[in-house]
Amino acid sequence: MIRRTPKRDYVPFYGPIAMIVFLVVWEVGLRIAEIPELYLPRPTVIAQNLYLLFTEGGILQDLGVTLYRIFGGFFLAAFVGIVLGILMGTSRKLYAICDIFIAVLYPIPKISLVPLLIIWFGSGDLFQIVLAALGCFFPVVINTILGVRQCDQGLILAARDLGASERQIKWKVVFPAAVPSIFSGLKLALGIAIIMVVAAEMLTAKYGLGARLQLSGQILETGQVFAILLLLAVLGGLLTKGQERIDRMIGRWRT
Amino acid sequence: MQLYEVLADQISHQWTSKNRPPTLAIDNVSCAFPAGKVTAIVGPSGCGKSTLLLILRGLIESTQGAIRFRYTNGSGAIVDGAPARMATVWQSFNLLPWRTVLDNVAFGLELASVSKEERYAKAHEAIKAVELGGFEGHFPSQLSGGMRQRVGLARGLVMSPDILLLDEPFGALDAQTRVYMQEQLAGLVETAGKTVILVTHSIEEAVFLSDHVIVMTARPGRVAATRDIPLPRPRAIEVQNDPRFSALFTEIYDVLRDEVVKSMMG
Repeated sequence: MIRRTPKRDYVPFYGPIAMIVFLVVWEVGLRIAEIPELYLPRPTVIAQNLYLLFTEGGILQDLGVTLYRIFGGFFLAAFVGIVLGILMGTSRKLYAICDIFIAVLYPIPKISLVPLLIIWFGSGDLFQIVLAALGCFFPVVINTILGVRQCDQGLILAARDLGASERQIKWKVVFPAAVPSIFSGLKLALGIAIIMVVAAEMLTAKYGLGARLQLSGQILETGQVFAILLLLAVLGGLLTKGQERIDRMIGRWRT
Repeated sequence: MQLYEVLADQISHQWTSKNRPPTLAIDNVSCAFPAGKVTAIVGPSGCGKSTLLLILRGLIESTQGAIRFRYTNGSGAIVDGAPARMATVWQSFNLLPWRTVLDNVAFGLELASVSKEERYAKAHEAIKAVELGGFEGHFPSQLSGGMRQRVGLARGLVMSPDILLLDEPFGALDAQTRVYMQEQLAGLVETAGKTVILVTHSIEEAVFLSDHVIVMTARPGRVAATRDIPLPRPRAIEVQNDPRFSALFTEIYDVLRDEVVKSMMG
């Protein structure tokens, strides 16, 4: 008889099991301690709130609005940031011109631009998108420049030897070589976009997850607050995982 | 196909950088690379032989001097004229890591806007010539060093260059792979009949592969000596047992030894 290899600890289950234990302790602990729901609702209450938000609260529309703002800002910044980053990384003149602006604008907390942006764009979607884009732009452009700068000079030399024009070198060698670095910039940017949009929604918006979160807090619906926070956490997790997948697909050659 | 001769005419090259005093890499080098022959440049590390190769290829401009190309035209006259195509094989391979073997080999043709069908057909042919059939879909990171350099070789050969330049092509390979690759390359250059310029620090490699050896001095690089290698072709690795081989080796080594010592002393 062929003997199986001895059982090993099956690590992938550790995370979910720990989560379940945590939720059970939370649920049972609160029931025993009789802590009022206003301060800390039980997981079952939060789940119930979440269910109600979807069935009666119309949270889906808010989710849609928030996603639209996040991705609007993200893609706007990604496009402008990548193109400008490649041009800045390959042209000393352009780098010298833009670098000083980036150095001055980058450290400004973008959320402090809210009053100004509202004066310019009102408090609607456009304002949210511009704010998110401003937050996303800098990590994208800085990482793109970094990636372009790190391009192996040997690859450029080899391409030139094979007859590549400067333009071909830029788009067929330098850009693909910078993709891993650009991707880590995009990963940072997406996280920032979520933060920006939710924070701005809490300050000014009528719709969106941030607005709903603010409202729930004001009317002391702690269960709803937790439910929306849970939704935000899941959203963030899904977006991060999705991005990792795309990254792996594009980076097949790195194995 | 026209065979091109390359002439280096009083080439000097100085590297200048911001924070360091300028260094003279090559000092007044004049030499000829005969048409349709393999010429090796040997010299101690840092003697400027790779720099000379870049200058010959036109990838950097020398501070002084000129490169000339000549060929024999239809009526038998020797005329000046630049070759249509040159290709270089690099010590560090310089393959694009995000492209498959097939797309790396087809890269030069793609840059020249050759149709997809034609460039893939030619690339497949070149891949077969370097015995890499079946690896078209692999990425460079999935290949051994020897295989990567065969991709580099195929990428150059697919351009059907008039002049093939090799910059320490086997320097990054282990000893056994190197011998095998040298034999393969000997076969390829014998059948191709191109002008080949080989930069190497290995005297064995220079003697084994070339018809003509140029020995360079330690930095700044000058021509220390030139030797013809009259060993018969086709050559296999056994030619290293030939007494003429060891005589040539010793002769070149004697010239090089003093230069190596000089370069070690800085």
